[in-house]
Amino acid sequence: MKFLVCVSKTPETTAKIAFSGDGSQFETSGVNYIMNPYDEWYALVRALELKELHGGSVTIINVGPASNDAVIRKGLAIGADNALRVNAEPNSSLYIAKQIAEHAKTENYDVIFCGKESIDYNGSEVGAMVAELLDLPFISFANHLDLEGNLATVSRDIEGGIEVAEVETPIVVSAAKGMAEQRIPNMRGIMMAKRKPLSVVEPFDFADLSVPVHFQLPPEKGGCVYVDGENMDELVRLLHQEAKVI
Amino acid sequence: MAKYMSMEHLRYVLFDVMEGEQLFKFERFQDHDKDSMNIFFDSIKDFSDQELYPCFREMDEQPAHYDNGKIVVHPALEKILPQTGELGLVAAPFDYEDGGLQMPLTFHTAAMFIAEAANNNVPGYPGLTGGAANLIATFGSKVLKEQYVPNMLTQEWGGTMCLTEPQAGSSLSDITTTATPSENGSYKIKGQKIFISGGDHEYSSNIIHLVLARIDGAPAGTKGISLFVVPKKRINGDTLENNDVLTAGDFQKMGQRGYCTTHLVFGENDDCQGWLLGEANFGLKYMFQMMNGARIAVGRSGVAISTAAYYASLQYANERPQGRRLTNTGQKDLSQGQTLIINHPDVRRMLFLQKAVAEGSLALMLQTALYHDLHMVSEGAEKEKYYFLEELLTPILKTYPAEMGQTSVSNGLQILGGYGFCSEFVLQQYHRDIRIMSLYEGTTGIQSLDLLGRKVTMKGGKAMMLIGQEMGATINEANTYDELKPYAKKLSEQMHLTTKVVGFLTGFAQKGEFERFLSDATLFMDFFGTIVLGWQWLKLATAAKKALVTGDKTQTEEFFESQIHTMKFFFKYEIPKTAGLAQSMMDTEVLTLKEEKELIL
Ligand SMILES: Cc1cc2nc3c(=O)[nH]c(=O)nc-3n(C[C@H](O)[C@H](O)[C@H](O)COP(=O)(O)OP(=O)(O)OC[C@H]3O[C@@H](n4cnc5c(N)ncnc54)[C@H](O)[C@@H]3O)c2cc1C
Repeated sequence: MKFLVCVSKTPETTAKIAFSGDGSQFETSGVNYIMNPYDEWYALVRALELKELHGGSVTIINVGPASNDAVIRKGLAIGADNALRVNAEPNSSLYIAKQIAEHAKTENYDVIFCGKESIDYNGSEVGAMVAELLDLPFISFANHLDLEGNLATVSRDIEGGIEVAEVETPIVVSAAKGMAEQRIPNMRGIMMAKRKPLSVVEPFDFADLSVPVHFQLPPEKGGCVYVDGENMDELVRLLHQEAKVI
Repeated sequence: MAKYMSMEHLRYVLFDVMEGEQLFKFERFQDHDKDSMNIFFDSIKDFSDQELYPCFREMDEQPAHYDNGKIVVHPALEKILPQTGELGLVAAPFDYEDGGLQMPLTFHTAAMFIAEAANNNVPGYPGLTGGAANLIATFGSKVLKEQYVPNMLTQEWGGTMCLTEPQAGSSLSDITTTATPSENGSYKIKGQKIFISGGDHEYSSNIIHLVLARIDGAPAGTKGISLFVVPKKRINGDTLENNDVLTAGDFQKMGQRGYCTTHLVFGENDDCQGWLLGEANFGLKYMFQMMNGARIAVGRSGVAISTAAYYASLQYANERPQGRRLTNTGQKDLSQGQTLIINHPDVRRMLFLQKAVAEGSLALMLQTALYHDLHMVSEGAEKEKYYFLEELLTPILKTYPAEMGQTSVSNGLQILGGYGFCSEFVLQQYHRDIRIMSLYEGTTGIQSLDLLGRKVTMKGGKAMMLIGQEMGATINEANTYDELKPYAKKLSEQMHLTTKVVGFLTGFAQKGEFERFLSDATLFMDFFGTIVLGWQWLKLATAAKKALVTGDKTQTEEFFESQIHTMKFFFKYEIPKTAGLAQSMMDTEVLTLKEEKELIL
């Protein structure tokens, strides 16, 4: 079976987020990057588990510049067989989805995985777009996926319960927590990853439909105000005049 | 989860300050690169977050203990120990041909530091296994290597170092464990070893002890000591059988209580077999190879614990409101709410002290490991240079993070006020855990004798000359930035003071007054250790300044400014100590030499 896992590079969860003066650029100094956890912990690991059960291969795809290779190599260290990077600086989900679909349309993947969202833009868009562009079924937020022949059983949490769907492959699935458990790559795997194929292709020509013009941070959270336990009047005043909740 | 170390700071020191990537150009390390090392560090951090840190407090509260002939350790080790092997924490620095990964010690040390900051009870187990396996790989026959090394590198089998006996701790020349040749080429081992770390537990299917013993008829003193491989269970074909190594008990300790410390009896039933490693009577020399690595590892533990304590205190100081800041009238404005304690100058002083000790020691740790690696891969004069530098810095790395680490953690505990003394908060555990670092692997007293008595004087003071050149290079670089010039000047004054002190003290050695020469060795350790840390801080600050000036920033601006500020703190609050120490050392009055009349009453 052939599995494709779409991975993206995101700032570490503890990274300090800042933008350039005019808000058009993300300030990258001091930011450490990781593989998007939903891609790594759930999508990639489930793909590897299914490969271990059914045989086949796991390919990683990323649309991004050469500086993303470190993240891709981590995926190879965790166990993917090979990787492809589309050499581009994407600005929108549609651009990324187009590039992935362009690659996937001739490769006959049985399952195309992506994470349920990336932890930077939280758009949850790429998977659905890839499915649409390839005209494949799409199941989002899946936390369980089994394969038997070309029948996939996929479940996901819904309000108050679990929804189970059966669908024939090929499919596109976005993976949520519960799909698998993180695999921590060991040093031997990390070294072997250097010998696995990572091919780089130039992007398919596509003009973005939308362009981000501006980013801004949410207003800073107010600090905590300590009020003396004896001073009830002050507490009432603050709740009334400043917090305006009473 | 609470923060216990900073990946940003570790990467900064490793790549930007020490330029650790320089190692990858050497053939031995050419299969590694920065990306793969960063992936490895992330793996160790994930492992530490998920497995090590969560049971850190529990390992203290439910300590390793002796029960009915067995050592019981925390059950989390059942999963953790094999994971350390699987991740590569044991095999990393070994040669490919021995099943290793040829990772530079500098990077292996950095990885172990992450794990140790999360839970200092754990890294000793794989650390000693690696140390013991390294001795077998270096000095063992092909058969011994094949029999033991592979299972040790996966941590399926543990390893220990068995030196100490009840009557022989600091002075190993007095060990009495015996080795009697047997017909099959092995030796019958008989004797007792105490304080053996990782000596027994149920989560390794075998434990391989490296035991110092005397072959019957060997010369007295250190010249008659040999080294033996003594497994808990000896190999018999495809099976393991009991090798008459008895666990007689354990030691209940004030700290590091999750790391078992055992009392072992070898050959109680005359059936303990050991295999000679290398040549007879060279045991101590071989063991020193392991001990040097272990000393670097103990230094690393001191760094790790003081780092973890710093972040715990910092978090508390950022959350605890108490009192008010003084206004310009000298009064407190009681209409204001309480301020966070991090805003009080005295608390800030303690936090800066913690930071200065922890981060400066981290730099010293990586610097020493870097010299080790450079010594391993260079040739000729360069090789000798790095050998001397590593030899000189090793006792300082063993001692400074241990001794000043205690001061630093104690200040960290102070920041918590009364809560620091309470078991609900972790500071008291760090305070107890770090205390061992100045005791095992040679006490501070013994390290100081080594520093002044051997390292400072070896080859006519060559190591001191070389470290002077290294410091000189840092001073020159710092001098290119106006802001750093005053500190560069201070460091060069400290170098002159060192020359004066060394000249004064070695004068006694030249006169044959050796006891007087070494009587204040521990003061000299404190003195020179502080100067070495000053050098490391100037180096940290210079790299930070360079990043700010060139705009080639791997970190935020505040990060670099914080490095420069902490360097200034170190030069203002720590460096002046050396003047007092120099004064004591060069005072002609003699007060500590044993005289006929005992005045310590
Ligand atoms: C928790 C723990 C784990 C340990 N793990 C191991 C292990 O795995 N393997 C192992 O072999 N050992 C181990 N040890 C033993 C440890 O290395 C010794 O305790 C240490 O070397 C000191 O020896 P000692 O306790 O006999 O003290 P002593 O040698 O009796 O020293 C007592 C004091 O006298 C001073 N002193 C001694 N000789 C001199 C001298 N010549 N000049 C100046 N001062 C001197 C010392 O500095 C110290 O202050 C461990 C100890 C502990 C507590």
